[in-house]
Amino acid sequence: MRTLFLAGIVLGFGGMLAAAHWVPWISHQRLPSQTTVVANGGRAEQFLIRLPADRIAATDAKAGGLRSTAASGAMVLPAKFISEPLLVEHYKIRDATGQVVGIAARHWASGDHGLTATWSLVVPARGALVLRAPGEKGAAVDTALQRAGYTPGAAWEGSVEVALSPGGAVAGGTGDFAGLRGTYTETWKVTGVEAGGAMRGTIELYTVTRIP
Amino acid sequence: MKYLVVAVLGFLVGALLAGTALYYNPFTVHAGAAPAAGDRMLKYSLPDQVLSVAVGEDAILAGRSSGVDGLWEETIDRTAVMGLVLADESGQPAAIASRLMAPSPSTDLLLTGVVLTDYWLVTLPGKGTLFVHSDSNVWPFLKETFLPVWLFDRPWRGPAEYRPTVGPNAGSTASVLGVTGVFEGKSGSAVERYDVTAFGPAEHSAAAIGELFLHLPDQQVAQQ
Repeated sequence: MRTLFLAGIVLGFGGMLAAAHWVPWISHQRLPSQTTVVANGGRAEQFLIRLPADRIAATDAKAGGLRSTAASGAMVLPAKFISEPLLVEHYKIRDATGQVVGIAARHWASGDHGLTATWSLVVPARGALVLRAPGEKGAAVDTALQRAGYTPGAAWEGSVEVALSPGGAVAGGTGDFAGLRGTYTETWKVTGVEAGGAMRGTIELYTVTRIP
Repeated sequence: MKYLVVAVLGFLVGALLAGTALYYNPFTVHAGAAPAAGDRMLKYSLPDQVLSVAVGEDAILAGRSSGVDGLWEETIDRTAVMGLVLADESGQPAAIASRLMAPSPSTDLLLTGVVLTDYWLVTLPGKGTLFVHSDSNVWPFLKETFLPVWLFDRPWRGPAEYRPTVGPNAGSTASVLGVTGVFEGKSGSAVERYDVTAFGPAEHSAAAIGELFLHLPDQQVAQQ
């Protein structure tokens, strides 16, 4: 009886330590990657952001125009940065089928040689992908909307497509995205604006990557 | 039947002993790397310099609840997104950071600790943007601060300093990638240090001062 009890203790002790070491305590749900092979080599993958549902937060400075003022989670910048060309946006991101797969941050700011746009896309089950591009002109989306008939303060319905970040490149990555190089495009497809300024539409990030 | 009860009882006692050993396990509480002399330091104060926080429904972030607009989808329900103002050594705002966080699959309760993967996107207006990939062991914070106060209802014994960075670089440092501006093409390392200055069981009762030390050798050479 005593031997059995001691054997139980050893088993319990060892089992618990083994579980602490070997059990995968953290395992993020992973959806199948929606990648396709492109004709000239490499793989293509598209990420989508549905507006306004996927917007988490955006900074409040005037530099972002509608992208700032209509954000539900406004990030109040310190006074020093108010006059800077600076816009920080946080989003949920979806795969090409519309399933939410991760979170993302976009920074639009001035660098040493002009405006830059940077994305950090994090898909917890796969890793992070970092994108960079020359930044678009300030209020680029607002300007395109106004050309299409949008008047600030009024509701608007229609269809406007704005290509931002020309010459976008994959700057780096971690996990499944480690070592990838390639290009990306960013397209804002706006289908409406509420009277309060909230945009409806989709941001499309189309990446083409390969391992050099 | 009697033998089975004794065996199960022994198993439970063994598991309990192992649980205690894990709680006091020295392998999982070691501090991360210390910053090197000459590193560029950016600091932040919680909660004062937090611009926004969104927390997954199944994530735990001290003093924060998931809120109405939490990240509820199963693929991101353990993540968190934080916007931060970073100040320079003089205390003036110098950068804006987005921290995208998720618990790491490299969590090992026996040898490593509870690891959080922390992706920083740091923009210094007029200079450029950096991407920092950091693995942080949050077990020392959980064990010494969070669990005693929140779970066991004990008074907080602070302030406490933590150096959570444990990777992914060799030498227990985070990796830094210069993405745009003066940082483009540069790479280096980083470590984080923070002091918890207040912590209580009530929501929003946590306060901390954090510091991110960036080590970009190429850039320092260029500046000289």
